Amino acid sequence: MGYRIGVDVGGSFTDFAVFDEATATISSLKVFSRPDAPGEEILAGLDTLAQRDGITAEDVSYFTHGTTVGVNTVIQRNGDDVALFTTRNFEDVLQMARLKIPQIHNLYSRRPDPLVPRERVFGIDERTEATGTVLTAPDREDVESAVAAARKAGCTGIVLAFLNAYRNPANEAEVARMIAEIAPEMPVVSSAATWPIIREYERTITAVISGYVQPRVAHYLDRFETVLRERGVACPLHITKTNGGVMGIDQARDECVQMILSGTASGVIGAGYLAQHCGFPKILSLDIGGTSADAAVILDGTPQYGVGELIGDFQIHVPSVSVSSVGQGGGSIAWIDPLGVLQVGPASAGSTPGPVCYGRGGTKPTITDAVAASNLIGHTPLGYGAVTVDHAAARAAIAPLAERLGISIEETAANIIEISVSSMYAEVSGLTSRFGIDPREFHLFAFGGAGAMLACFLARELNMKGVVVPLTPGVVSALGGLIADLKNDFIRTLYIDVTEAGVATLAAPVAELQATALDWLKGKQGFKGEARLSLSADMRYLGQSYELETPLDAADLSVAAISEAFHTEHARLYGHADRDALVQLVNLRLVVAGATPKPRIAEPDPATGPARPVRHVTAHFDGTAQETPVYARADLAPGHTFDAPAIIGQDDTTTVVPPGFTVTVDRFGNLVITRKEG
Amino acid sequence: MAIDQRNLSVLANFCAAAADAMAFTLMRTAHSAFIKETEDFSCQIVSREGLAFTSPRQFGAPWYSGIDYAPLLRHFDDYEEGDICITNDPYAGNVATHSPDMHIWKPVFWQGEIACFVVGHIHNTDVGGAVPASLSRTLTEIEQEGLRIPPVKLVHRGEMNEFVVRVIRSNVRMPEQNWGDLNAQIASVNVGERKIHDIIARFGFEGFVEGVGQMLDYSEAQARAILTRVPDGDYFFADYADEDSPGGRPCRVALTLRVRGDEVVLDYTGSDPQLSSALNMPTGGVERHPLVMVGLTYVLFTLDNSVILNAGTLRAARAILPEGTVVNCQPSAAVGMRSLTCAMTQIVTVGCFAQALPDLIPAASPGGNAIMNVKTSARNGKPIMASIGPVGGGGGGTPFCDGSDGAGGATGFLRNTPIEISEAEVPIRFRRYGLEPDTGAPGQFRGGLSAVMEFEVSSPETVVTARNRNRSIMGGWGLKGAHPGAVSQFARNPGPSEIQLKNTDLVKCDPGDVIRVVGPGAGGWGDPMARDPEQVARDVAQGAVSEACARADYGVVLCHGAVDRAATEALRAAAPRRKALFSHGAERQAFEAVWTPARYALLTAFLASAPVGWRFFLKHQVFDAVETAGPLEDMPAQMEALFDALRTRYAL
Repeated sequence: MGYRIGVDVGGSFTDFAVFDEATATISSLKVFSRPDAPGEEILAGLDTLAQRDGITAEDVSYFTHGTTVGVNTVIQRNGDDVALFTTRNFEDVLQMARLKIPQIHNLYSRRPDPLVPRERVFGIDERTEATGTVLTAPDREDVESAVAAARKAGCTGIVLAFLNAYRNPANEAEVARMIAEIAPEMPVVSSAATWPIIREYERTITAVISGYVQPRVAHYLDRFETVLRERGVACPLHITKTNGGVMGIDQARDECVQMILSGTASGVIGAGYLAQHCGFPKILSLDIGGTSADAAVILDGTPQYGVGELIGDFQIHVPSVSVSSVGQGGGSIAWIDPLGVLQVGPASAGSTPGPVCYGRGGTKPTITDAVAASNLIGHTPLGYGAVTVDHAAARAAIAPLAERLGISIEETAANIIEISVSSMYAEVSGLTSRFGIDPREFHLFAFGGAGAMLACFLARELNMKGVVVPLTPGVVSALGGLIADLKNDFIRTLYIDVTEAGVATLAAPVAELQATALDWLKGKQGFKGEARLSLSADMRYLGQSYELETPLDAADLSVAAISEAFHTEHARLYGHADRDALVQLVNLRLVVAGATPKPRIAEPDPATGPARPVRHVTAHFDGTAQETPVYARADLAPGHTFDAPAIIGQDDTTTVVPPGFTVTVDRFGNLVITRKEG
Repeated sequence: MAIDQRNLSVLANFCAAAADAMAFTLMRTAHSAFIKETEDFSCQIVSREGLAFTSPRQFGAPWYSGIDYAPLLRHFDDYEEGDICITNDPYAGNVATHSPDMHIWKPVFWQGEIACFVVGHIHNTDVGGAVPASLSRTLTEIEQEGLRIPPVKLVHRGEMNEFVVRVIRSNVRMPEQNWGDLNAQIASVNVGERKIHDIIARFGFEGFVEGVGQMLDYSEAQARAILTRVPDGDYFFADYADEDSPGGRPCRVALTLRVRGDEVVLDYTGSDPQLSSALNMPTGGVERHPLVMVGLTYVLFTLDNSVILNAGTLRAARAILPEGTVVNCQPSAAVGMRSLTCAMTQIVTVGCFAQALPDLIPAASPGGNAIMNVKTSARNGKPIMASIGPVGGGGGGTPFCDGSDGAGGATGFLRNTPIEISEAEVPIRFRRYGLEPDTGAPGQFRGGLSAVMEFEVSSPETVVTARNRNRSIMGGWGLKGAHPGAVSQFARNPGPSEIQLKNTDLVKCDPGDVIRVVGPGAGGWGDPMARDPEQVARDVAQGAVSEACARADYGVVLCHGAVDRAATEALRAAAPRRKALFSHGAERQAFEAVWTPARYALLTAFLASAPVGWRFFLKHQVFDAVETAGPLEDMPAQMEALFDALRTRYAL
């Protein structure tokens, strides 16, 4: 028995979730992040765990980590100078992208500069047909001269992305083998090995991003591993994945694109686990920090997956936990436009200089200042003493806006909150339409520093069922990494008709995928438990131009079963199906997962008396002054219930509850905030 | 709730959310690639009066932000809750602009009163008619362009009119696809209605209706604020589509932009008479018809990205659209390819504004973005028809940066079709897809490079169409001393035995035939001799500019890739400079040497005096006569004599 540890390194704080295998319970810890010296925060956390809980390095039996180093490398464009080898005469794939320009009404608009500039793209004389037949195999001399040119251009790595490699990776594999001989020092990323999907731009950019971030990510992971090993942590190290799973650190070093969104995905997985455990089957997670606000749809604990998640200016096309940006966070700046209309964002004061009321150099009024000017935050210690709220400064920052609008500071603050909430509403509403869900059936699950501050306002606009604020919102991401399963995705493009003849060819690729998947889980990841394999296929009616992903039963791959699964899925999504039409199977997909042990969520002792506020303040909700009780989260226990308005303070966040809601503490200690009856 | 300066953004955000929800619903449930891949659709919310006040923020065709549904809404005076109306008739209501565009609209009621309408259109891949996909330049009457549904209630009080559905299904080539897309449209307006109900519940009926008025007023004020920065004056610009009919004469689109304070008039007088081909624009003369306002919308947004585009944006503008011309055709002229002509209206609008604001306005993208289609058959004989994507020019050079490569400016909104998708679905093999060197016209900021596509056909009786292709005779123009754009290319079997296909938009091929198409070149901005020589060296390293062009067009001498400073300075000092604001290619200069604005003015007046049905014929008679006689010194006398002869001969 030991301790399993999950760590999430954020911009300001690093959170630890510690899972005691003996008791199956979770505890948490927060330390300051050290962007100046990555790794130090992890040691600091381990020090505290040793002192506080007596947990030594030898006691650690499992370690997972979510990091934003990959995504930051793309956003800051400080990745490596990689070369791209394409099929000759198709070298412009990154510049062309999908053609569409970012702002379609703007005559100046241009697509962002590619991650690999055109002078570092080299064509190779090779060609594979759409059927997978190799027309032209690569030639050694041709590859040698391309490698020489790449070297001359100062490239330190090579990405291979050949036409139709999704169908047959032989030419990419052959060129990779040649490069290993010609230039063994050059890391090579192959598009077919990264994620073999049809669509050359999408597959190429995904592989390019992987190659681009690889050295920096590998360096970061090396350091992370060294730090832990030197400290005596001997257990396997895991990294959380873009797909919401985890993988061993060695795989993360090689397949960087699989961990590029590891930070955001873990938060959603953590939220999903907590919500499911606590009996909330349909939630929208809302994670608001100083510079970002992210939302995700989670059904029965399972997040929605998508492809095309944004990484800086680009999209990656591996299966990803679908997380949507819904705003710029608590630092968004309020201003009055030339026509006299009050606006919020898109400019943001971020974490630095941050809101005026935090007194760290910010001079422009932000959403957080509007909340402070309304006297809704700053009544209990925040941010472990690192943050104090200067109400007067917030009011002073908003005063000029109020003067121009000819209304009071409180009304102006209320309008700023309303505008920013309506802007988040617009984004969340788009998200719900994209997934075809009705927010009225959902709870809003709030975490991040500012999530609970604005969640009730947003839930009110969306007519949601209620808001859930977990006991320790800060630890959701770290917990997500800790409970995530080992998980990997596989895809194979087949283009077969669902007929007796077509289906007869299915057994071999299915068996191959299964063998590869099991090898990944049991071999590469060393997983000992039971493997979960989920088979699905992208299918369509013959002649349609898009596919639906349809779950399949691997035990019954008959024409009847496959067709029926598709008809059913088609009817579910579109309300009709054509049972006489021929079905075509385009891609086969397989997800393999190995379950990790799950903690139980502690149930705190129930309340013994009514909830008692620590004080009362005059706060402004929607511009109206209200005598408002302030509660300390630590004083609240299961069974407590009270009406809003209310403010609940805790170290890592403040929950603001406007009038019209009732707050209940459930048996897990979550704040469950619902509309007051009647 | 009263809407004012404090909370106008709140209502605007809610309405934007409703429009986004409509677009997401449409994209999620639509069936055709045209919607899912190309995003050729619109979703909007229009006021009780028909004025569009909100569009989706990221999706859809960019032409319709300021659309006015009023003439269409007026077709019914008995709207009831649960009604959904439909039309694709370009000659009824001035909203639909060619037959594939199926528009639907639904009244949103609140306690028995109409609060607004939720509307939208999609481009159906096929609506029947003479040719697959329903569109060809060669068609001459609207009747050849497929099914035409007059404004009708598709759904009446929640009940589907099955007869209308049967009519649609039995007149199109791929009924399942149309049916799937129609359902997606219905789902989209229903979601819009629900979202509007939520908004009215929050803001109240009066608050909502007043707020909508204020959103339109706000956009109007934004547009007027921009227009006051444009110097007053009359600015004239004309440009030409290659041919007004197969093998025909240039088709002129002319615009006089009159700027007065915070208002503009777009006077299209001087544009050609309506044609016996499908290039006509069915605007009905509506003075803010979206098709003639696209260029203005682009210019306003380019000058101020904070502008919220809706019908209010266009209030400061009105267009003059003479009847019986390409910009206002009468029934039953064919209109299928109106997008080619619409692109010309955008180009002339940019050309007028470039005179008013020469330091801010970029060169226009060249237009004529070819939509490539292949109709062929698989080895088992199964017919295959697929769009393999647009092939066009880049964006024009701008005062601040190069034009966007491959597609840009006004034609940058389309997505391409991946080569791998095309090869998987269509039995053709691509030999090249990318950017063609030296196609971005030289300038201090060069035009974006043109796209190039080359593929080999593998089945007999294959038909390749290049819809919308243009600029194969007269290229686009450059600004402020830059070079004009090169002409587009379309060839079969490139190489020694190459066949130039010129301005054809349809070519029959057999196995082994290779088709090559290169988009028209985009004009540059500013003197190429002023371009940073290091940037030219980088262009050469990237393969965008050849070393020969670097020397000839930019005066930059390279030695092993590095700039030879001294040689470059010497070459640049001796280089001739272009002084005029606009630079045009040789073909256009030769044409305009004969067809001067004065000669065109006389022709326009003469044609305007003739019956609409005669004008296209008479134009050709005049062109033929001028070509035969050559331009005479006394041009007015020559033209008068010509007109007299025609009047006499045809008893006009």
